[in-house]
Amino acid sequence: MTKEAKKPFRQSVAEWRQFVYNPDSGEFLGRTAKSWGLILLFYLVFYGFLAALFTFTMWVMLQTLSSDIPKYRDRISSPGLMISPKPDTALEFYFNKSDANSYAQYISTLKKFLETYDDSKQSENINCTPGKVFDQNDVADKKACRFNLSELGQCSGKEDKTFGYSKGTPCVLVKMNRIIGLKPEGEPYIQCTSKEQDMVEINYFPPGGSIDLMYFPYYGKSLHAHYLQPLVAVQLAINSNSTNEEIAIECKILGSPNLKNEDDRDKFLGRIAFKVQMTE
Amino acid sequence: HKLSASELEEKYGTSINKGLSSSRAAEILARDGPNSLTPPKATPEIVKFLKQMVGGFSILLWIGAVFSWISFGIQFAQGAESPFDNLYLGVVLALVVILTGIFAYYQEAKSTNIMASFSKMIPQQALVIRDAEKKELPAEQLVVGDIVEIKGGDRIPADIRLISAQGCKVDNSSLTGESEPQSRSCDFTHENPLETKNIAFYSTTCVEGTATGIVINTGDRTVIGRIASLASGVGNEKTPIAIEIEHFVYLVAGVAISIGVLFFIISVSMRYKILDSIIFLIGIIVANVPEGLLATVTVSLSLTAKRMAKKNCLVKNLEAVETLGSTSIICSDKTGTLTQNRMTVAHLWFDNQIYSADTSEDQTTQPFDQSSPSWTALSKIVTLCNRAEFRPGQENLPIMKRVVVGDASETALLKFAEVILGDVMSIRAQNKKVAEIPFNSTNKFQLSIHETDDPNDKRFLLVMKGAPERILERCSTIMINGKEEPLDSEKAEAFQTAYMELGGMGERVLGFCHLYLPENEFPDTYPFDTDSMNFPTSNLCFVGLLSMIDPPRSTVPDAVSKCRSAGIKVIMVTGDHPITAKAIAKSVGIISATSETVEDIAKRLNIPVEQVNRREATAAVVNGMELKDMSLQQLDDILCNHSEIVFARTSPQQKLIIVEGCQRQGAVVAVTGDGVNDSPALKKADIGIAMGIAGSDAAKNAADMVLLDDNFASIVTGVEEGRLIFDNLKKTIAYTLTKNIAELCPFLIYIIASIPMPIGTITILFIDLGTDIIPSVALAYEKAESDIMNRRPRNKKKDRLVNEQLAVYSYLQIGIIQSVGAFVTYFTVYAEQGFLPSTLLGVRVDWENNAINDFEDSYGQEWTKYQRMYLQWTGYTAFFVILQVLYLTQGRIIRKLFIRRYPGSWWDKNMYY
Repeated sequence: MTKEAKKPFRQSVAEWRQFVYNPDSGEFLGRTAKSWGLILLFYLVFYGFLAALFTFTMWVMLQTLSSDIPKYRDRISSPGLMISPKPDTALEFYFNKSDANSYAQYISTLKKFLETYDDSKQSENINCTPGKVFDQNDVADKKACRFNLSELGQCSGKEDKTFGYSKGTPCVLVKMNRIIGLKPEGEPYIQCTSKEQDMVEINYFPPGGSIDLMYFPYYGKSLHAHYLQPLVAVQLAINSNSTNEEIAIECKILGSPNLKNEDDRDKFLGRIAFKVQMTE
Repeated sequence: HKLSASELEEKYGTSINKGLSSSRAAEILARDGPNSLTPPKATPEIVKFLKQMVGGFSILLWIGAVFSWISFGIQFAQGAESPFDNLYLGVVLALVVILTGIFAYYQEAKSTNIMASFSKMIPQQALVIRDAEKKELPAEQLVVGDIVEIKGGDRIPADIRLISAQGCKVDNSSLTGESEPQSRSCDFTHENPLETKNIAFYSTTCVEGTATGIVINTGDRTVIGRIASLASGVGNEKTPIAIEIEHFVYLVAGVAISIGVLFFIISVSMRYKILDSIIFLIGIIVANVPEGLLATVTVSLSLTAKRMAKKNCLVKNLEAVETLGSTSIICSDKTGTLTQNRMTVAHLWFDNQIYSADTSEDQTTQPFDQSSPSWTALSKIVTLCNRAEFRPGQENLPIMKRVVVGDASETALLKFAEVILGDVMSIRAQNKKVAEIPFNSTNKFQLSIHETDDPNDKRFLLVMKGAPERILERCSTIMINGKEEPLDSEKAEAFQTAYMELGGMGERVLGFCHLYLPENEFPDTYPFDTDSMNFPTSNLCFVGLLSMIDPPRSTVPDAVSKCRSAGIKVIMVTGDHPITAKAIAKSVGIISATSETVEDIAKRLNIPVEQVNRREATAAVVNGMELKDMSLQQLDDILCNHSEIVFARTSPQQKLIIVEGCQRQGAVVAVTGDGVNDSPALKKADIGIAMGIAGSDAAKNAADMVLLDDNFASIVTGVEEGRLIFDNLKKTIAYTLTKNIAELCPFLIYIIASIPMPIGTITILFIDLGTDIIPSVALAYEKAESDIMNRRPRNKKKDRLVNEQLAVYSYLQIGIIQSVGAFVTYFTVYAEQGFLPSTLLGVRVDWENNAINDFEDSYGQEWTKYQRMYLQWTGYTAFFVILQVLYLTQGRIIRKLFIRRYPGSWWDKNMYY
């Protein structure tokens, strides 16, 4: 094969123009209008059909699902722990006790979070028997148990509007992830520890950090609309010598054999670690 | 060669009787180097190895690997969650290239080794006169001025000017392609050193006789050496498959970059960070790289190469496997490739009738009518008037395979007689030979006188064979049905017709006659003297004619017709006489029964050749001499306008011209050759095919493929395999590209709809390099479509390996269908675990945020990051499984759409063609 001589530029431009629109055959980009039309029509029909098929299958699939509980719950057998407020970057609290702006974000988050726990929102909730799983399997109209904010004591935001941040005793709410049908065994409670034990004193509300069984099980968003998950407030009384120091705290759920808290890979399964650093 | 012997002695400082002195020879040896051809500069192994690493696909993969690493670098610097995926991807891509490189290198090295084992020969010895003594020396140590002696059967050790010769004949076929041995003497006969009789050339063989000569050129300065070095000057062409793969790489790169850039723009306008967008861009480009394809292609090619080796085609270069499939013109040698390379009796004429004989390779009987007494007489002449003998110790071999001492036609006759009559040697023993005149070129006959095997018949039998017209001159009677009848003009006319007819078939015709010498004139004791010829050599009784030809191999006509239906033009290029060439061409179908040459038409219409409309003739027989005077346009004209072409009397140099002519027509040309002088043509051809048995090393070196059995039919098998691999590669690529889209789509949707990642990099690698390699390679085992040998060879410019329709089909249709299917599965998995599709859209940032461990699903449940990741992996698995299932359905569709050339329905035409 001999090497083709390079075409002069003008010729190749002309060829291009010919390719883009060929006046003789009426071809546009190598095809006639009719051919293009047929192709577009084909793809319109083809993709239309595919889209319809996709929608249809999705619809059928959704019909097989119940709106109350997911089909499978095997991916979340044990709940994770989470705290509120949640700092933007990682789980690290930095604030200046004397600078209200530095913790305003935390306070507003807390306030917002606790709004749903306000007594006025809990009018439909009932008082359940403490210490006992509140089984409502046979009841069509699932009731939610009342969680009194007062149980959070100094962290309820009622007495101290700054949740202790201004006094150097910041409150952090620990909550357990909602999982449908989960019934903790034993007497679960939250316990937080810090490696720097002398730096911080930890108080729990409700006392002992206990989580009452009456809040379980959860029946899902649609059946259990007013459900409120139990909270444990952790108040960190930071030692005045330890200001400016970073304090690492780990909270775990204990006392319940079916709530895992030692998973190697999932660092949030039944436990949570965060850091607090307070300045003056 | 014009100089006299003494002048030569002076020029080379030697003596014809004493030769060179050892010390002088050593000096010259040191000056000129050893008498051997310098092998073509071997590419260093490491370069060959590296070449495997950077060609075609490999480049694509390297780029992919580098991009992955860049992306890894960026992500790592950013401190992203799982940057190592990209690192692994890069490493795996690089590994794939390196491993397939090693594999391909190993494959080629293996076939090179087979070649090497072929070419290993016993070092050649030469009989040299040095220091006035005859010495056996390795031919390598010959120097200019040496006096060498050669005898029948020797290979000529250097270019030699003969100074004495006795009945010396050389076979110059490896140099000039002429298959007839040529006589050599010490006379200067021609200006052109190639034509003159007093030079014998290096690497040709001395067939018979003895000669002494002075070495005038050694090593690379010999004629053959110069041709061999010419071959290395001819550049190697890119193989068609390499061009196809390059085209494919462009296409994939084009698609990758356009999709990448498009989505870069989209993601930027969607307010992704620029750095993220760049990572997306790289991700998309890398996702387009078909990781597994390189391995698949290499494996497929080497599987086919292996299969072809089993069918006697040894492929030196993996890519040549496919080249053979796209071949549109085969320029084939005649002798040995199309024919059996041995003379065989093809026709007989006696009792005024032509009989044809079986010329197949493994004949055991002859079917023609043997009842006539004339045949008995003829067979006796054939048996007795023959000097050829079987070499002893071959009784158990089939007759056709036995080695015979004697020239080609006598061998043919001997074997012919042996097949029909049985033990020829004992018949000869019963008919004792009393006198003999061997064949010579002046009287053109051979004669012998025998006692008869009938003890009551004391007459002598004189038998004679030779050139028919000479024999007939000496006859006065002719035998018809066992009776001698006078040879009148009518019978002579019948003889002429038969002779012309047999001669016209390109056959070598011999006439046979005999005479019973009267007992009274020639008693038992009669002293026959062959010099004075004291016996009658005229008024003999003509018995019959036998004609011989080097018959086509029995598999060839079938192979040629296969080529023809496959749209491959077979051109015969031979050094033989045009008539013989044409006859063989006709008998194997290179010239079909109905087509005519210009000359044939002229003869039929009884008009001069010049008046024939050249367009009417489909066949052409071109003589080498005509070719010499032709302009390139004329040659092109012939190649274009005639579908059936035979080049006769061509020199190997003209072969190169013919090949170039064919290539100018845009054809993919396969050339067969065996001689050293064929090597330029072999190299120039798109695929050079050397003969494994008859081929010279130089030819094998220059060729891309070696036919182990020298059989033309093997080429056709090769073509079939080549086409099959092209089809199968097409299937493989369609398969791979389709999958690519199904793997790319998730990523695109991930960017646009911000859903959790449907399929991970590692999973994709698992598919491409794990589960998919096997079905892809399996596609290489796909059986040939029934029409594979009934299609025209693919058009280099139009029938691409990867063309628009394949890309459109893979990317826009099947790929999309598969993606849709896969996404249904993806959404199902998430929905059944609690994330309805509506929840999923736009969650990407939160979903991937490590700090969010209470991610709420559609049912109010909360998920930690790890739980979400776990779900995501479940999604990967589901995606993986569903893709596998979808691929299962794919093979059949691909096969139908791409391999069929002429689709029926309108939308097929519009969509794909």
